[in-house]
Amino acid sequence: MSTPHSDQPAHVKHYFVSSEQQFDAAKMGMWLFLVTEILLFSGMFVAYTIYRSWHPETWAALSTALDWKLGGLNTIVLLGSSFTVALGIHHIQKGNKKGLIINLILTFLFAGVFLVVKYFEYSAKIEHGLLPGAAFDPHGISYGFDYATYNVPYGPQFFSIYFVMTGIHGFHVLVGMGLFAWITRKAIRGDFSAEYYTPVENCGLYWHLVDIIWIFLFPLLYLI
Amino acid sequence: MSHTEHHITSLKTLSIVFGALVFLTVFTVFTAQFDLGAFNVPLALAIALTKASLVVLIFMALIWDNKVNAVILAVGCLFVVVFISFILLDTEYRGDLSNTFEQTLMDERLEAERAAMGDTEAAESQAADH
Amino acid sequence: MSHSANGMVNYLNHDKGIKSWLFTLDHKRIGIMYLVAVSLAFLAGGILALLVRIELLAPGETIMSADAYNQSFTLHAVLMIFAFIIPAIPAVMGNFALPIQLGAKDVAFPRLNLASFYIYLIGAAIAMSALIVGRIDGGWTFYTPYSTSIGDGILFVTAGVFVMGFSSILTGLNFIVTVHKMRAPGLTWNRLPLFIWSIYATSIVQVLATPVIGITVLLLFLEKAFQIGIFDPALGGDPVLFQHFFWFYSHPAVYIMILPAFGVVSDLMGTFSRHQVSGYKFVALSSVAIAFLGFLVWGHHMFVSGQSAVSSVVFSLITYLIGIPTGVKVINWVQTMYKGSVQFKSPMLYAIMFLFTFSIGGFTGIMLGVLAIDIHLHDTYFVVAHFHYVMMGGNVIAALGGLHYWWPKMTGKLYNETQAKIAAFLVFFGFNLTFFPQFIMGAQGMPRRYYDYLPQYEGYHQLSTYGSWVLGVGLFLIAYYLLVSVFKGKKAGLNPWGALTLEWTHTTTPPDHHNFLETPVVTRGAYDFHLARHLFEHGGEVTELEGMGDGASTLPETPATEDATV
Ligand code: HEM
Ligand SMILES: [Cu+2]
Repeated sequence: MSTPHSDQPAHVKHYFVSSEQQFDAAKMGMWLFLVTEILLFSGMFVAYTIYRSWHPETWAALSTALDWKLGGLNTIVLLGSSFTVALGIHHIQKGNKKGLIINLILTFLFAGVFLVVKYFEYSAKIEHGLLPGAAFDPHGISYGFDYATYNVPYGPQFFSIYFVMTGIHGFHVLVGMGLFAWITRKAIRGDFSAEYYTPVENCGLYWHLVDIIWIFLFPLLYLI
Repeated sequence: MSHTEHHITSLKTLSIVFGALVFLTVFTVFTAQFDLGAFNVPLALAIALTKASLVVLIFMALIWDNKVNAVILAVGCLFVVVFISFILLDTEYRGDLSNTFEQTLMDERLEAERAAMGDTEAAESQAADH
Repeated sequence: MSHSANGMVNYLNHDKGIKSWLFTLDHKRIGIMYLVAVSLAFLAGGILALLVRIELLAPGETIMSADAYNQSFTLHAVLMIFAFIIPAIPAVMGNFALPIQLGAKDVAFPRLNLASFYIYLIGAAIAMSALIVGRIDGGWTFYTPYSTSIGDGILFVTAGVFVMGFSSILTGLNFIVTVHKMRAPGLTWNRLPLFIWSIYATSIVQVLATPVIGITVLLLFLEKAFQIGIFDPALGGDPVLFQHFFWFYSHPAVYIMILPAFGVVSDLMGTFSRHQVSGYKFVALSSVAIAFLGFLVWGHHMFVSGQSAVSSVVFSLITYLIGIPTGVKVINWVQTMYKGSVQFKSPMLYAIMFLFTFSIGGFTGIMLGVLAIDIHLHDTYFVVAHFHYVMMGGNVIAALGGLHYWWPKMTGKLYNETQAKIAAFLVFFGFNLTFFPQFIMGAQGMPRRYYDYLPQYEGYHQLSTYGSWVLGVGLFLIAYYLLVSVFKGKKAGLNPWGALTLEWTHTTTPPDHHNFLETPVVTRGAYDFHLARHLFEHGGEVTELEGMGDGASTLPETPATEDATV
């Protein structure tokens, strides 16, 4: 076995010429992956746009069925988690490993909070039959409000789109938690340094994208 | 290695951006209280776009990054626009062939709406049975 | 260094045992594993095709029930499209040749590369299991509402397509980054082999379009599993929207199929004409142009779907535009041959065949893009003939050319050139006999996907079925002599074709595990034959590695291939 680049730091794979090349390649790969994510979600946004433009009344009426307070809370939670990821990267770039670990754990916790809130939202919807497609069956009264008034034409489409969009998004949050658990472990083990933090950078990019998707979902579904 | 080249975003910048994001969230909730008619959607989208840009440019550091990554993102977004706009070209003008009578289309739409109503009513009565 | 320059230690034998293959991160070995896998998919799909053709030999039931017929052609298409033709050239030849042509030691993400292979296998297995679960008979397009009305098998097919899509995305992503970041010193964009340009353009399409088929089949899956009513008209959904989603991927996907074929043909044209490919920049950039334009025409599959007339007109006009960059390529290939001195080795025969068959496919595509004509021809055998002329006559013919071209490098062995020429002739003749009659009966109104037909079409169907047998014999002959060559073939020299790309000029045969003995420095374009006269000083075959003067010793003499320059 030849070791043509034995002068390279240990994290540089043999088929790369330099650490810089490896970092740039990984990051470019991540951006390409993010674009595939954007196009995956775009299908849902297309469905949203088409059905909204066909049935604006339904959309305006049913967006009130979603709780903007919980949605808003989750928006702030996700923004906070994006902030902590950015802080973590800032710290590791300066060689502060402890700062990185703390911020990674915070991010993980924020993601957990997001899912817990989502869980309560989903259960409320399910309880009142605000379900996708054929299962759509609004009923029940809570706080003096009769859910049956949500029974409008094309209501099923609204909730199909709501559940599919937030469901796929929620799945991404779950994957994100897995990723953060993984890199937190690596960080605690001391794998990262100011010279090498590529996985943190890439998980961060992924996480910011998950945040961005939510930035669009929140007003489109909850507010307008 | 030449990692020194990597831009380090200052804590101050990060905090300001986070503050701006929170502010914009509150702002979009606030504006949603008012019915601005045709401007409801564009305004909400404009605010969301601003927030997304802040995240992309500062948190994701694209503004200091290799330009090729910016091109990748731009191309991705371009094709989302193509996807949506070409489909709208169909859905917004569906039935525009001159040999399709306005009346026929309206009848069809009404019927579909009635069918959708009927379906949900049927589902309701079914649920009541349980 | 354990490298020996005498070709004894190479990527095939440096490590032994089945594990060294299954867990390899070497792009060359992954390419070979893909070759085996897609060949099996092609075999399975091909047998189904032969059965379908036999059924159509005579009107009425011939060998199978109508139900079995519908399932056969559906499974044939699903296998051929998702499991064979999409990965065929990029994942096999792209994996094998692209990093070497770039002067890189490997792709940018070798682990991802191996992962994408296994993801492909899993996806193909899931899709195939639909066969057992049952009754998938609506064709590969899965149009709603029919597709959600049939059995649960559709859940498996959609899941399988979703998973295979991932594999395609990861391969494309890997190649884009590799092309951007891993080029050898001196290898500027203007010097890239045209194969690289085309794989690069293909990868763009893979990355941008495949996620949409992902969400499409995911929604279809949910539609079937939970009746979400996005596509199903009975629940208030819009089936035409499904077609938009489907074709937003599937039209660009036809460019995932044909762009790599363009690349192979460009390389073959340059190499076997011994001449710089005419209009290099135009040929290179037209690939990228086609990749982008290809996203704007999907509605030409939906002219009779009930989409708005405005969009039909727009889609039709943009469809014509695609003909321009495509024509640029064809004209430049012809000019390359005209200016060069052509050697009719078997890979080149396929390249020339491609010119005929692909051009027919392309021109009939433009015909189908004409609104009024498509009303008549849509869903007839004319469409079937069109897409087989582009997919089989384009992609598969080019893939065969590429396989014959890189085979000596991959295996270190030469196949029997005479048999190769006979097989090439059989494939060409059989292919045209199979599909040309389909244009005629299609124009006369024979609908596609029909089990039975009127007696007036019988003659055409018979010709077509006989053609499929000739084609089958040709393909089996190829499989036969290629397999024989692995065990009994003559040893291949370093550069039996006298090609100028790095895999021929700078690597041993078969290449070393790390591709190069030393990192190549590129000083000329991929087809600058006038700058590489020194390689051909001895006339005939090239037996010396370029730029390997000192470190490596020369390789032993190998006999020249049978055919001298024509
Ligand atoms: C000059 C370029 C091309 C043009 C203008 C073109 C045009 C068309 C049109 C208009 C149709 C729709 C016909 C109908 O359903 O009524 C069609 C069908 C088709 N084309 Fe092409 N095409 C071109 C190249 C290709 C290539 C390169 C491939 C594949 C390698 C391809 C594969 C197909 C397939 C698979 C279908 C049938 C899809 C189905 O309904 O199952 N085409 N083409
Ligand atoms: Cu097409």
